[in-house]
Amino acid sequence: MDKKLKIPRLPHYFFKLYCKPEMYEELHGDLEEFFHERAVDKSIRKARLLYTWDVIRCFQPYAWKAPKGLNNSSITMYNNYFKTTLRTMKKSPLTSFINVFGLAVAIGICMVVYSFMDNDFSIDHHHLNKDEVYLTTFSVDREGETEQYGKSPAPMAEMMLADFPAIKNMSRVHDAGAVVKFQDKVFNESIRFTDPAFLDMMTFPLKWGQKSSLNDMNSVILSEEMAIKYFGYDNPIGKSLQIKFSENNSKTFQVSGVAEAFPDARIIEFGFLMNFENLQIAQPDMALNNWKTLLDGLLLHVEEPSDMQFISQKMDKYIALQNTVEKDWPITSFDFVTIHDLHLKSRHIVDDISYDASWEGRVTLPIVALFMILLACFNYINIGVVSASGRLKEIGLRKVIGANRKKVISQFMSENLLITFIAGIIGLFLAISIFLPWFRDISEMPLKLQLLDSDLWLFLGAVLVLTGVISGLYPAFYISKFSVVNIFKGSVKFGKKNPVTKVFLGIQLVLACIGITGAVMYAQNTAYQAERSWGYDEKNSIYAQFSNPEAFGQLKDLMEKNPDVVSTAGTVHHLGKSLEKTVLHSPDHQYEVFEMKVGPDYLQTMGIDLKSGRTFRKNQTSDFKSIVVNEQFVQNIGLANPLGTVFKIDSVRHEIIGVAKDFHFKNFYYENRPTIITLADESDFQFIAMKVRAGSNEKVYEDLESNWSALFPETPFQGGYQDEIWVGFQQDLINMRKFMTAIAVILTILASLGLYGLVKLNISGRIREFSIRKVLGAGLKNLASDVYKQYISLSLIAIVVGAPVSYLLIRANIQMMFPDQKSPDYSGVIISVAILVVVLVSVIASQIGKVLKSNPVNGLKTE
Amino acid sequence: MIKVIYFRIYFTDKSKFNIFPYITDKSKFNYMSRTNLGEFEEIVLLTVGVLYDDAYAVAITKEIIDQSGRSVNVSAVHKSLYRLEKKGMLSSRLGDAESKRGGKRKRLFNITPFGKNALDESMNLRMSLRQQIPDLALKF
Repeated sequence: MDKKLKIPRLPHYFFKLYCKPEMYEELHGDLEEFFHERAVDKSIRKARLLYTWDVIRCFQPYAWKAPKGLNNSSITMYNNYFKTTLRTMKKSPLTSFINVFGLAVAIGICMVVYSFMDNDFSIDHHHLNKDEVYLTTFSVDREGETEQYGKSPAPMAEMMLADFPAIKNMSRVHDAGAVVKFQDKVFNESIRFTDPAFLDMMTFPLKWGQKSSLNDMNSVILSEEMAIKYFGYDNPIGKSLQIKFSENNSKTFQVSGVAEAFPDARIIEFGFLMNFENLQIAQPDMALNNWKTLLDGLLLHVEEPSDMQFISQKMDKYIALQNTVEKDWPITSFDFVTIHDLHLKSRHIVDDISYDASWEGRVTLPIVALFMILLACFNYINIGVVSASGRLKEIGLRKVIGANRKKVISQFMSENLLITFIAGIIGLFLAISIFLPWFRDISEMPLKLQLLDSDLWLFLGAVLVLTGVISGLYPAFYISKFSVVNIFKGSVKFGKKNPVTKVFLGIQLVLACIGITGAVMYAQNTAYQAERSWGYDEKNSIYAQFSNPEAFGQLKDLMEKNPDVVSTAGTVHHLGKSLEKTVLHSPDHQYEVFEMKVGPDYLQTMGIDLKSGRTFRKNQTSDFKSIVVNEQFVQNIGLANPLGTVFKIDSVRHEIIGVAKDFHFKNFYYENRPTIITLADESDFQFIAMKVRAGSNEKVYEDLESNWSALFPETPFQGGYQDEIWVGFQQDLINMRKFMTAIAVILTILASLGLYGLVKLNISGRIREFSIRKVLGAGLKNLASDVYKQYISLSLIAIVVGAPVSYLLIRANIQMMFPDQKSPDYSGVIISVAILVVVLVSVIASQIGKVLKSNPVNGLKTE
Repeated sequence: MIKVIYFRIYFTDKSKFNIFPYITDKSKFNYMSRTNLGEFEEIVLLTVGVLYDDAYAVAITKEIIDQSGRSVNVSAVHKSLYRLEKKGMLSSRLGDAESKRGGKRKRLFNITPFGKNALDESMNLRMSLRQQIPDLALKF
């Protein structure tokens, strides 16, 4: 044949690809005939083209080959597998319940964890410019330790905007408290001052009003929540709000915009947003051109991330400027963090506009989910292996008919995937209806599972496939291994003595042990933290906060008339409310410490005891150069003889006159830090603290409130009981205990279900043996010891391994949150092991009881 | 995963995909009982008859092109032939190998009695309908 008359290769290949092999000859023969004819009649080129066209036209169902693996027989086979699975599940409802329920619970918990992680990783990701907007931070090096701060010097913003043309936009952010008044609604609120570009850089769409109104000095933009709080559901645009920044300093603003409801996964937000220039009105003392003044945040918007790299290399000028002004806080670098990363990095950034309250959760929850999945998988594996005996004949028959090992494995895998799939549906249902609402209550996070979210289904699919493969692989290999001859000869020793089963059961017991230990130790920790001394008398103290310097004297005079008030004191910083950082200089060192500025009576009033030395004296001006330190301070700095030691603060000499016993300024999430107490002038006071006679808290509180409203009818009262100052913390403790208990209960139920299934299968396999023993006169002791013997060494090993592991793991976990925890204490582990043993014994006992009660005749006449 | 499964369902002949048995339930999807012919199918069936012993796809295609002047692609003829065979109106056998076909055999078709019935039925229906048209209706 002529060489040129060759059929075009590519279309020919394509034809072969799709064409049924049995039809290839006749169909392609037709095409070839046309091709050759056309090559003669027309031209080779045309023939080739037309041939290609024919190939494309023939790409139709009549010519297609069936996809591999989907021919009739394999479909029938899978149908049969499906049927067999359903029958097996029906035949032994208990094991199928254990399998499906266990997997469903585990998958449900996984979904909750997914929801938590999804929420956490999408925090503040709704901003369109999240990758181009940066928060400016600076790092301070103190004796080798770097600390990153989220604030920035006030004059820097405008300088940077002028210096770097790459910066498209910038917005300073600063928050301040104020009293907001609309008709009879008066509340203390936090106001956020920003540059007008803020709303362009961040994505906060407005429901009503214009973004540009932020340019106007007399406008305020509200969040939806605040709009509803003050104005109800109507459009409030144009209404006036009176905002009182401090006593005798108030201004009227027009509502010019209301933001749409913020997404749930957000941290950066605002209640009241106004032009940054108003900050100068709100706080006239704030020197905005001084490098010492720090703003709460500086956001920069650049075109490309590479611009920011360029900028961060050119920051030396700013570092130098800052360090000449603020010598106590030498900055080592300015760094820029995108809004996208801010939440996850916040844990290492002090005082930034975001925060990260959930990293412990991010560490703990996936582990919990993994434990659940493992437990459920092990249950499945163990039960699958042990119950293989019931299916040997089926497998033997399949093999005889011609199934090879691969087919049997694929049967068991598909069976397993089906069960996992059912479990997945139930699990999703459990997650949405039970676990998630419960977890939402405990975590107080707005968690959701959005069924329309494709990632959710992707995750669920991945979990199902993974679970299916983990749990199904071993049983499938194990069961398919038996040779046909041995199966029918009856000589296969199946399941009973499989070492792998034992290992898995052991791991399950260890996991359950960890779970129970978690619950017990968390409960102990909660009790410990609740009873811990705060270092002062929190039970009989009341406080109130004010912004008006005269308020202190007026309140003090009125309250001292109340016979139940033991003493009153004014202070700038109040325990649990506020604190400062300062730097102490000694000749060869400098120390960064917390500072509390208080009035002379404050220590006695709050019940902070002195270890040595004296406290401040009234009307003694020299005490303004004295300091009282806490024990931690003495310990950290290593002073042998603290009294009389001199430090410089801002180059003024201060002498230690007393050492106070340790008190907890913050809740127990924070470790005790070196703190100094200095004397403050009465005109700076911001709080009044009162010690009251025991049991009269409520009466004094009411008196304080009524005095307040008589004195300052325009300002809402801000005060409370000192022992309620950590309500959130105390609630956290309770919630954590609840969470851990629930997890422990679920883990234990799963593990004991697995054990129950194993014991039951084991005993039912030996029912004839037990019956014969009973006939021969065996009693409880004999039978029980026989059954327990199987599990005793395994349980012992599990406990020996599990107890220390769980102790260390849970202690480390608690340590993440509570730096000062109970001194090493093994009682928690001992209690947990005891609980575990009781559960184990009772699970096995329930089965022995059944054997005891059963009539041996029934056992012997089976078959 | 989901996309792959979808793909398979879509591209597989329905009769082979019986995970859900009702899809191939014969009473619902019985192609065999359909005796009515499509217009093109009828032409193909007739042409098979015309060509008698030499009715294979290429010849049929050419014959239809010659006789009707339509442009017909061989794939359309293939489709009709195999469908008619499935309906039982055609029977087929493999013919001889020919060099002009690259040494490949051709499939030769014959009309079955059932095919003849179908043709007659269709013809009769047309004729009887044609004869029922009143002369007036065709006076222009």
